[in-house]
Amino acid sequence: MRKTSYVVPVVFALAAILGLGGFWRYRASRPIELTLYFHPFVGPEPLVLNEPRYPNPGGEGRFEVRDFQLYLSNLRLTSGSGVYVEPDSYHVVRFDGAEPGFGIVLHGVPRRDYSTVEFGIGVDAAANRSLAQRGDLDPNGRMAWTWEVGYKFVLFEGTLTRADASVPLVYHVGFDENYRLVSTELRKGSVTGRAARLDFRVDLLRLFQGAPIVDMAALPTVKFDRGDAARLAGNFAAMITPMRTEAP
Amino acid sequence: MRLRRVVAAPALIAASLAVVAAAGCNSRPRAATPIHGFQAPFVFGRFQVPDENPLTVESVELGRRLFYDPRLSANGAVSCSTCHIQRLAFTDGRARSVGVSGKPLAFNSMTLANLMWGPQHFFWNGRADTLEDQAMVPIQHADEMAQDTGRLVAELSADAAYRAMFETAYGEVSAKAVARALASFERTLISSHSRYDQFLRGEVVLSPDEELGRKLFMAHPDVKVSLRGANCIDCHSQFVTAGFTARYDGFSNNGLDDEEHLQPGLQAVTGNPKHRGLFKVPSLRNVELTAPYMHDGRFQTLEDVLDHYDSGVKYSSTLSSLIVEADNRGEAASGRISLHLTAGEKAAIIAFLRTLTDRDFVTAERFSDPFARE
Repeated sequence: MRKTSYVVPVVFALAAILGLGGFWRYRASRPIELTLYFHPFVGPEPLVLNEPRYPNPGGEGRFEVRDFQLYLSNLRLTSGSGVYVEPDSYHVVRFDGAEPGFGIVLHGVPRRDYSTVEFGIGVDAAANRSLAQRGDLDPNGRMAWTWEVGYKFVLFEGTLTRADASVPLVYHVGFDENYRLVSTELRKGSVTGRAARLDFRVDLLRLFQGAPIVDMAALPTVKFDRGDAARLAGNFAAMITPMRTEAP
Repeated sequence: MRLRRVVAAPALIAASLAVVAAAGCNSRPRAATPIHGFQAPFVFGRFQVPDENPLTVESVELGRRLFYDPRLSANGAVSCSTCHIQRLAFTDGRARSVGVSGKPLAFNSMTLANLMWGPQHFFWNGRADTLEDQAMVPIQHADEMAQDTGRLVAELSADAAYRAMFETAYGEVSAKAVARALASFERTLISSHSRYDQFLRGEVVLSPDEELGRKLFMAHPDVKVSLRGANCIDCHSQFVTAGFTARYDGFSNNGLDDEEHLQPGLQAVTGNPKHRGLFKVPSLRNVELTAPYMHDGRFQTLEDVLDHYDSGVKYSSTLSSLIVEADNRGEAASGRISLHLTAGEKAAIIAFLRTLTDRDFVTAERFSDPFARE
């Protein structure tokens, strides 16, 4: 009978140790939900649709934004202990004005301390030449164009108002060579908890602020001219930058 | 530029998986038979059948019968098929439809092809979010069928054949079951045997005129690279040929009226002033048969429609920049809206539009009046 007085506490202690270890292992193995949230801006100001409030970056007049959307593809998170690659990773990020921004929610992301997040602006060449409907790719959607090019990578439609005229603005950028991979370093501990969020600024104005700065009156449309498309696409990487603020 | 021809994969997708899965977890009576091997062209893309109303052989057959039954109207003289006539691709040939009251309705009868693709908001102003919701509106509308749902259910319950069909399909005779059956039948109205579909499957070659028309249809003009286009694709998707599916992307102001005469359109549903004058972009499948055109049937012929888009567009504040800017001479900044298409180009576009006619769709027995055979 004396023997049991040792056995019981030892068993309890073992169970506790195993349980705690199991819990930590369980917790570490539980995938998390990660949101990439995109805030639209025009220069320093949050985007307001349908108001001719923004100065033409390279000339006279003010412009308004009626529609602004873009493709983000091939989301990847890297850490010292592994890489997460989102399957069928094609997203139309759209700013319709009803919400302050647009969130891409990644489910089932392994819990790791990620150091970089990477995504493509646009659609990679293989997907851009395919009719497969992966993610938000949709050959019957608004971002598809003509019989010979796949998808618009960035779509901005609006109007430039000048003293003498109002000029329709149509910027559709989307040749294979315009696809840009953007990689962002994450601060240590950015991705913690069961639901984490990373915030990005998407600044429409940056598209036009390469060298030389674009006068919208001189270049009111960009569609199928590869040189014009490259001129805007050269600024893709500067358009999306991390917001170093704590998520609300 | 290299030409990337869009040749659709000949493969068809079987939707039966979703349908069968949906059928398994439902309180629907066991007697109804899920439809296996339900198919739609790969190029149309994804579609959804609501979990609570899976496609079954019995629900579709019941829906077809109800669709053609004038008992759905107060005076017993008007059925859905009065304004949706199969040989006219389920339109009625009138500018504005006429129901039991004899008064012309506000809108033109819309074609009922490929309803699972394109905008999933129904009616010209998008006021119904499901086909089930849509189905009950004309039945009860004072000018259309003016039927009381209680009376309708009582009439249908008194008919032994209907009682048996409802029992098998939905377990009861009810207004809800009427709506579901009609929606099920409508979901099967798939038009995918036109010459354009055959072309997409690589089975036929289009004539030079049709091919020119297809390219013009599918292009927004760009003078800078000498690309001529009619910018149809800016609103009508390339394979489905209806408006876009996402959110309200499938609604557009196509320049029919100036600011002063702009109708509410989508704004009546969303309350958004930027949606004023926007209407649903319809499917162009069988467009050769669906005259007159536009939400109010104002154009009699496809030539009239092409003339409108070429040089008749009226400016208003919600008109898309894409329409204002589209000009094959690159004179958009002049303030005058015109595509500047040639007469030959307009004829080519109409030749392409005629490849969208599907003789099987407008004659198939499975979509026809079941009472005609009894």
